[in-house]
Amino acid sequence: MRYVASARIEAAAPPRSSVSRIERIRALFFSSPASTLATVLLALACATLAAQLFTWGIRDAVFSTARAPQTCRVAGVGACWAVIGEKLRLILFGTYPYAEQWRPAVAMLSLLAMYVVSAQPRFWNRRLPLAWAVTLAAFALLMFGGVLGLSYVPDDRWGGLPVTLILATLGLVAGFALAIPLALVRHSPGGGIAKALVVAYIELARSVPLLAVLFLASVMIPLFLPQGMDVSKLLRVIIAFALFTAAYLAEVVRSGLMAVPVGQRQAAAALGLSPFVVTTRIVLPQALTAVLPALVNVFIAFFKATSIVVVVGIFDLMTAAKRAAADAQWEGFGTEIYLFVAAVYFVFCYAMSWYSARLQAARDPARRA
Amino acid sequence: MSEATVERGAEILRVDRLNKWYGSYHALRDVTLTVAVGERVVICGPSGSGKSSLIRCINGIEGFDTGTLEACGTSLGRSATAAQLMTVRRRIGMVFQEFNLFPHLSVLENCTLAPVATGLLRPPEAEVMALQLLERVRLVDQARKYPSELSGGQQQRAAIARALCMKPRLMLFDEPTSALDPETVKEVLDTIVQLAEEGMTMVCVSHEMGFARQVADRIVFMDEGQVLEIASPQEFFAAPAHDRSTAFLGSLLRS
Repeated sequence: MRYVASARIEAAAPPRSSVSRIERIRALFFSSPASTLATVLLALACATLAAQLFTWGIRDAVFSTARAPQTCRVAGVGACWAVIGEKLRLILFGTYPYAEQWRPAVAMLSLLAMYVVSAQPRFWNRRLPLAWAVTLAAFALLMFGGVLGLSYVPDDRWGGLPVTLILATLGLVAGFALAIPLALVRHSPGGGIAKALVVAYIELARSVPLLAVLFLASVMIPLFLPQGMDVSKLLRVIIAFALFTAAYLAEVVRSGLMAVPVGQRQAAAALGLSPFVVTTRIVLPQALTAVLPALVNVFIAFFKATSIVVVVGIFDLMTAAKRAAADAQWEGFGTEIYLFVAAVYFVFCYAMSWYSARLQAARDPARRA
Repeated sequence: MSEATVERGAEILRVDRLNKWYGSYHALRDVTLTVAVGERVVICGPSGSGKSSLIRCINGIEGFDTGTLEACGTSLGRSATAAQLMTVRRRIGMVFQEFNLFPHLSVLENCTLAPVATGLLRPPEAEVMALQLLERVRLVDQARKYPSELSGGQQQRAAIARALCMKPRLMLFDEPTSALDPETVKEVLDTIVQLAEEGMTMVCVSHEMGFARQVADRIVFMDEGQVLEIASPQEFFAAPAHDRSTAFLGSLLRS
């Protein structure tokens, strides 16, 4: 059979999207009697919960700290948000001397400002590490004091959100900085002692619970240090944290290294680039972009894991919340305090997640419009 | 271009009784070949004949086991240091079958990275030269785009410009058109022909016999890791001397 086209088919506009919004909703939620039933039941459950939450959390809640906690103890009253107002400074700053709490506030705000600055690619240049060094020095200066007329505050009196933030920042940044060489060594071809040591380290660190590492850092290490050599507990815990996260991050980075096609290395080497340039300019940027979601996953998990330092007596946000909830005068309002702290953790974790999605979209050439 | 002191006809590449094994597989067998400055050599042969292995040995992307190889005045081999390898590679440009452009860099950045990172040029000079070379491969209007936004033929021309930015004395092409649509093969081959006409020394692995006839000074025919015939294109296409050359050309005609 022979077919020869007899006429040219002109280009035409595409047909209108065949499914309207109503049809799409129907297909999603009401496609069968069982589906309809499930939709109705779940909608009712959600509505009931939302209504109760609204009644408890907003309509019947006590916001004013005036004459609280008595006003919160009246029958039929909902959430006692007054406790947050009352305990805010304890939750945020722990047992830091009350009159000096502007110092952790400023220190914390400068850290937050640096997060915002560092998140923007237009500031990614050689001055950024310098800015970080200055910020961290300023953080230490403000928190410790002892100079410029500031009274000295030892780090065992620090507390609350600044402690959580510095623990997460230094722990994750140092962990990440360590993870890259670990991953590069483990990914390198051939064997050698360095690689065997790295593999042993990563596998060991991943096989030990974080809790055990923290106890080791806070209780055991001082026993081994020579007399007179004193490293503060906070610093020991930060180092332990960094060493622990490094093992996890190294494996994520290594999976990114494996995802870079071998042709990329070959093409870079063929141009006469040094192994260092090949790694830093060609391989690592592609590897890290490829594993960005997995990296952020680890960041988020470890940001939340900082809260377990409570067991070794570091006064972080979670410890501060516990202390606030333990006040006999405000007994019974732990729920409100923990909800507030959960919201703080959520803001930080969601910001990381949102930012990684945005960065991924911006750095993925395939998705660039 | 650069290194005008090297006179035409001087030896730029000498491969002597090169042998290479992948495990127990004997991939290159006593390969001997010399290339002079200004010469265009096309290597052809059936797949698995060792063409790509050979061309990748020339700039040390792959190693070899026995024999000697001297490229641009430097001897490569097991004793070659990392610094020697880098020196040789800066003098030899390479274009790959799969382009291998850097996907996270724009076309222009692909071209300027190596000259700047190796200290050959300062960033503004590198950009000027890169734009000139992109003009030559007719891609200057795509300079700010990313590789994934270009067609295969455009990517391969960008890869050629990237290699030329290092002002190479010798260009290696490893099946530069095998990953392309038949329609875009021509635009890449035209670019290579133009380069050949400007006097660039090149070694090219190719299945494009029309192209080979047009640019080659010599054809090298390889099979099973061995060089079976080296001849001028006229001799090779009119009267192949080896049985397997005849069979190979026959198979290309039948396809």
